[in-house]
Amino acid sequence: MILSMNNLAEAQSSGISSLGINLKSFVFQLITFLIVLAILRRWVFPKLVATLEERRKTLEESLNQARLTEETLQKAEAKAGEILQAARAQADAALAEAHTKAEEIIAKGETAASERGARIIAEAEERLGQERQRLHSELRGELAELVAATTEKVLRQKLDEREDRALIERSLKELG
Amino acid sequence: MPVLSRRQLAAYAADQLLASQQVSAIAKELAAVLVNSRRANQAELLAQDIAWELERRGAAANATVTAAHDLSEQLRKQISAFVKKSAKVERVIINQNIDDSVIGGVRIDTAAHSWDKTLSRKLTDIREVL
Repeated sequence: MILSMNNLAEAQSSGISSLGINLKSFVFQLITFLIVLAILRRWVFPKLVATLEERRKTLEESLNQARLTEETLQKAEAKAGEILQAARAQADAALAEAHTKAEEIIAKGETAASERGARIIAEAEERLGQERQRLHSELRGELAELVAATTEKVLRQKLDEREDRALIERSLKELG
Repeated sequence: MPVLSRRQLAAYAADQLLASQQVSAIAKELAAVLVNSRRANQAELLAQDIAWELERRGAAANATVTAAHDLSEQLRKQISAFVKKSAKVERVIINQNIDDSVIGGVRIDTAAHSWDKTLSRKLTDIREVL
């Protein structure tokens, strides 16, 4: 076979060699190439393809995961926004209620203070009235005592026995 | 033996006095009852009860007349007549009491009645009114 190939090569070299190509070398290189190609296709390419496929799958999963994460994040942000809005609404409502209650408390406090003040004034006026009445009574009593004492003194000085008898007679007539 | 009340004793004494019994004899009887019933300290009260009983029956009134000055005979008669008429008694015994604190006028007290026309009373009334 080698001889035939050598013959073939010799025969063809006359044609190909005209193109500047060594046919023997070319055939040898072709065979070598085919062997290498067969080796690669048998042991290397399947593993390489499998590895590449695995990496592609991993990448795709990562992308899906990233997309899911992004969606989850968006949902979480939306939910957080809703919660924040609700919290703000609640805070506003609580603040408004607090304002209302504070106003009510202040109003009640003012009313209570006003009532208490009025009561204190009324009590003070009552006490003042009682004190005035007491002083008036005391003054009246003292005045009566003074009038009675003065009258008694004058009567003791002016009323002699004769006038006393006349007084007794008048009294008896009044009684009779 | 049941104990006689002071009112019963006074009624008995009035009966005896109005029956013209001896005063000393009645007094001895009453004294014996009081001593026997251990009420000797009630002799004064019994005398007042007897006076009240006699006045109630219209027999006599023991009038204590209080004035600042001595009463004239005419005033005594007037007072006696007044008490007879007012207390409706036949006889009046006047006991005069001179008390300077009455200032003027007269106060007549019997066992059952009292009339106060003194100036001290009027001044007291004025004090109370004022």
